[in-house]
Amino acid sequence: MFLHNLKYEIKTGLRAKELIFWLMIFPLVLGTFFKIAFDGIYEKTTQFSTVPAAVVEIKENEIFRSVIDSIEDADEPLLSVTYTDEEKALELLKNGDVTGIIYVDDKLSVTVAGEGIEETILISFVEQYTTQEKIIKDTIEKNPFKISDVVSAMSEETDIIKQIPLTDGNTDNFAQYFYNLIAMVALYGTITGLHITIGNQANLSALGARKNCSPTPKSISLAASLLGSYLVQAVCMIICVTFVEFVLQIDLGSKLPLVYLAAVIGGMTGVSMGFFVGSIGNMNYGVKLGISMAVSMSCCFLSGLMVGNIKMLIAEKAPWVNDINPAAVISDSLYCLNIYNDYERFTVKIISMLIISAIFVLLGFVLSRRKKYASL
Amino acid sequence: MQVFKTFMKIIRSKMGVAMIYVGVFLGISIPMATSSTSSEMFAQQTKIDICIFDEDNTSESRALTDLIGQRQNIVQLENDRDAVIDALYYARANYVLIINEGYAEKLASGDTDELFGNYHMHDSYAEVFIGQFLNEYVSSVRAYIAGGEDISSAIEKAEKALSQETEVRTASFEDVGSADYPIRFSSYFRYMPYVLISVLINALCPALLAINRNDIRFRTNCSCVKPAAHTLQIFAGSGIFVLLVWVIFVATGAFMYGGIYQGKAWLAVLNSFIFALVAASIAIFISTLSPSQNIVNLITQVIGLGMSFMCGIFVDQSILSDGVLAAARFLPAYWYVRANNMLAGIDAFDSAQLTEFLVIEFAFAAVLAILTLLVRRLKYSGVSALKVN
Repeated sequence: MFLHNLKYEIKTGLRAKELIFWLMIFPLVLGTFFKIAFDGIYEKTTQFSTVPAAVVEIKENEIFRSVIDSIEDADEPLLSVTYTDEEKALELLKNGDVTGIIYVDDKLSVTVAGEGIEETILISFVEQYTTQEKIIKDTIEKNPFKISDVVSAMSEETDIIKQIPLTDGNTDNFAQYFYNLIAMVALYGTITGLHITIGNQANLSALGARKNCSPTPKSISLAASLLGSYLVQAVCMIICVTFVEFVLQIDLGSKLPLVYLAAVIGGMTGVSMGFFVGSIGNMNYGVKLGISMAVSMSCCFLSGLMVGNIKMLIAEKAPWVNDINPAAVISDSLYCLNIYNDYERFTVKIISMLIISAIFVLLGFVLSRRKKYASL
Repeated sequence: MQVFKTFMKIIRSKMGVAMIYVGVFLGISIPMATSSTSSEMFAQQTKIDICIFDEDNTSESRALTDLIGQRQNIVQLENDRDAVIDALYYARANYVLIINEGYAEKLASGDTDELFGNYHMHDSYAEVFIGQFLNEYVSSVRAYIAGGEDISSAIEKAEKALSQETEVRTASFEDVGSADYPIRFSSYFRYMPYVLISVLINALCPALLAINRNDIRFRTNCSCVKPAAHTLQIFAGSGIFVLLVWVIFVATGAFMYGGIYQGKAWLAVLNSFIFALVAASIAIFISTLSPSQNIVNLITQVIGLGMSFMCGIFVDQSILSDGVLAAARFLPAYWYVRANNMLAGIDAFDSAQLTEFLVIEFAFAAVLAILTLLVRRLKYSGVSALKVN
């Protein structure tokens, strides 16, 4: 009887239109839009690229020109300079073709159109030049015979910073939106989980009424429904991860089998949550669906589906929220897999998901048992 | 007015769904438009959030920490690799600097190898900028030492030399940063297309679908109501609903604006009205295709999210790729956002170009209205009850 119930649970699960929409089509649509919008933003906003600048020479300055030439000759130059007149330079600045204009006169000055890190870098470059000028001037005033030592000290190539690499994973922080998308699909498993109790509660569906008057023990029926829902949800999770990794080409890291595992376990958490919500009280399907969706979306919001760095803010103010929020735990597990070289934190996240699932299932069973209906 | 009354009755039953969207939109957009911080999703930073682990802890290393603190934002992090990884990934810190033990000694002796460590995650602007600053600082100190100063005097003089300010001017191009329509407030109008589409499709479509259901339509067809009057009454009902939703947004906007709109803000109101017409045309067009409720949900999400992500509502147009923007030109929200950006002063104001944007938006509404009439004519002309069934 268990297998019979399981078979029909899977069949009905895969045929339910709302499941197909919310668990398969909607995530694919949202993921595609994420890809369209966030593609290349990491390169544009975080990764360094040469700062374009215009130079207006009011007075000739050979030293400044040679400094600019040496900078532009570098492999990854700090600046890319266009020498021009003021009118053209302002036109370039207005059109956003350059970040700022460096005016070369007795003193250097800068004109920018706004505030940002590129503008800061440009201003800082001019300040450095002015600093070096001052050092040379100070030395000429105080110890003119030391000028060659000072110039060589300033121009000597040094290796003052040792970089300590932190990860071999994908450091594009916009990938977190896709981790949260996968977490969202997992939590939409609440809709699947909700069907378990609706389909087994006699006062909520005809199927529930039929099942209640059958000789199959309720525990067997519920266990079969739960397993069937886990399997249906696993299919949805596998489709989602495959789509994100292979169609959208989002780098989910090198440990892909574990990404699938985390997603499937995350899906179990979502189904279990739905099973629990469905078991509470005698509210009709619409109300329970509303509660499930509201809870799921709130969890996803707190995990960073809409505002990327909210999870970090919560980690500072109330870290326990991230430990009990299923969406945060699921997306964190994917993040850990990608970024950390060891499995310690990933394992903790997986165990957390299993514990959360077990608690929901246990509470669901407790709330569903011994329900009798005198009349319907 | 039987049709009108019935239509309004159906619309009233859909008001709950519409008001959820309205409430959520206002709940999110009001804090965004009124908060003192930037409402941009990817706001530009002028200072770098830097965390410094001072392992040398000498007066020299503290002097450097203080100097960096005067110029950048110092953030405190737990000295733990995982915490650093999290902070760098989620941009809680842009740069993590370690002042290595022996820094002061090495600096005094002229040995500059690996004075610092840097936890590296991104090849970012922060890495380049701080790297550039540290190089400059160290070479300045070394230059002063080479010039005959002792270490403490060299540090002091280097700090003084580095503190020289360059004359920086900010070019303000014509009409940039309009006082009538500040950038911060413009974000309220920027997000409006998403919610107009969501509300109008989700509420108007089911109502139109209900009133156009075959059995209802056949009953109306055999009544004394003329087809033209029937269409007119539905249009009037739809118009009132669209107007109501739009007025709610505009009135709330006025409340946040602090009174009656002024100058360019009125043009933003006009822009939003034209977009409300576009959204209504989309909803009416979809309803003529008689989709099921699930399909209406799907279409709402696809159109709402699609336009929002592609046209610059959720992500600034300046960050979107050229390919995406080229495709977005075929969508009305792209022109809405361009007009809104121009009014807010993000793009240079040009009245002729603004008119062009508004006309293009209106053209989308007109084309959709023509398509709707065409589809309705093809669908209902000469179709009997038997044929439809």
